[in-house]
Amino acid sequence: MIQLFHVSKTYPPSYRALTDINLEIKPGELVFIAGPSGAGKSTLLKLLFREEEPSEGQILIDGKNVTRLSSHQVARFRRKIGLVFQAVKLLPYLTVLDNVALAAEVIGTSKKASRAKAYQLLGELGLKERHDSKPLSLSGGEQQQVAIARALVNDPMLVLADEPTGNLDADVAAETMRLLFEIRDKGATIVVATHDLNLINRYGSRVILLERGALADDLKLASCRESRK
Amino acid sequence: MSLALVGFVLRRVGLNLRQLFWTYVLTCGIVAMTLFVFGTFILVEINLEHLLKGWGKQVQLNAYLDKNLDPGALQDLLKRVETLPEVERVRHISQEQAWRDFQTALGAQSGLLEGLPRDVLPASFEISLKSAQRDGSVVEKLAERLRKEKAITIVEYPQEWVERLGLIVLAVEWAKWIFGGALLLATFFIVGSTVKLAMLARKDEVEIMQLVGASEELIQAPFVIEGMIQGVVGGMIAVTLLWLAYLSLRNEMPSLGGFLAPLGQLQFLDLNRIALLLTVGWLLGAAASVISLRRFLKTWNTSRGER
Repeated sequence: MIQLFHVSKTYPPSYRALTDINLEIKPGELVFIAGPSGAGKSTLLKLLFREEEPSEGQILIDGKNVTRLSSHQVARFRRKIGLVFQAVKLLPYLTVLDNVALAAEVIGTSKKASRAKAYQLLGELGLKERHDSKPLSLSGGEQQQVAIARALVNDPMLVLADEPTGNLDADVAAETMRLLFEIRDKGATIVVATHDLNLINRYGSRVILLERGALADDLKLASCRESRK
Repeated sequence: MSLALVGFVLRRVGLNLRQLFWTYVLTCGIVAMTLFVFGTFILVEINLEHLLKGWGKQVQLNAYLDKNLDPGALQDLLKRVETLPEVERVRHISQEQAWRDFQTALGAQSGLLEGLPRDVLPASFEISLKSAQRDGSVVEKLAERLRKEKAITIVEYPQEWVERLGLIVLAVEWAKWIFGGALLLATFFIVGSTVKLAMLARKDEVEIMQLVGASEELIQAPFVIEGMIQGVVGGMIAVTLLWLAYLSLRNEMPSLGGFLAPLGQLQFLDLNRIALLLTVGWLLGAAASVISLRRFLKTWNTSRGER
């Protein structure tokens, strides 16, 4: 699903955020990208959804080289990706339902179908009753769930989540992770960037460790635990 | 673009117009004032051109007579002029007749003449030329010959005015492009800034749209349509204001006589020129939006990339 070959990213004038990253993530995997702040986790995600271009190397997603894409191609490529951020980025003047439906509408789904899909997803997340509320009247956890619903509304093949549980209490974080696993079980590939080792310990999976922009390790959780002992 | 996307764009336009209603009203007003000035120049220009065309059709000389001319000398002069080979007909307009004509021309405002002596206007000959003699150089030579008559003080003929007015029309045309052009340029930046303001007000939405895979065209379309709406609405307001100004001028103006007679009634913009003003407004809105958006998105995307 995702292949990185000698990927580096340098910000002007000479800050090297990522150095010579090589990795492969298979379809249907749920992978954690871990590391301290400044390790390059967010930069790696930005390269994956083509918010930025790598300075060197090649990135293949679903067999397609996404290193150099025109703005049209980037837009088309992103329609297959669901994005979840720590800052939920919901529009305060739209209802919860419209926030979710917006992501479907902008790629050409009819308003009726977009809203129906959004309503169904909100129902699955237990937010059906709040569909007509404005985001600011929701708790942080509920807002994050709305953001996840928005990320899923176009049935993405890949979900990229940057610190998705960063602002959430343990119960809501658990609910969010349960959701991500559910999506994974339906066949999507999930990449979660986090520095929360408790989260990684609890939801055992593959962990890619970054340190100062370099790939430090690529572990299964069991071996990750051993290395921390 | 699919019907679903067209619907989406129109809903965004509606939302944005509601959110920034007063900003758009202000911008429409500025576009309207610019196009009003531009349209005023066009209005002046077409009326002068109309006058010119009328003068071109008239081949007539006006010879104004010395006030102290006695009746015998007047008859002699009349005969001399009538027998000139180029002349078809001569009409003598006495001082009394000139006064009455002027009073008629002023209509309701003829009261302005109260207190003035009735012999304030000079008597004159209206000289019509034979059709074979309507060449510009013939007219000029005849005017020269008439000027040599001691009893004739001033000789005027349309061709002379045609040349002078031709220059005025040219000046108005230049002024239209210089002043109108400067105003259009200033308005271009104002419309561009309004669109930029709309973009800033909705930058979160734009960012989300970019992240979920909306095309650049879809992101820009609502803003460009809003720019076009401002341009066309501004154009419509300008045409309405011009029409009101025209009506008010036409009703206030006395009926025209003498050299201004060919003008008849003041002319208003024809359909082509109204369409031109609306098109200028539309293009102004569209071009300002597209250029402003491209520059804004380029800077914005670059600054996001550098974070």
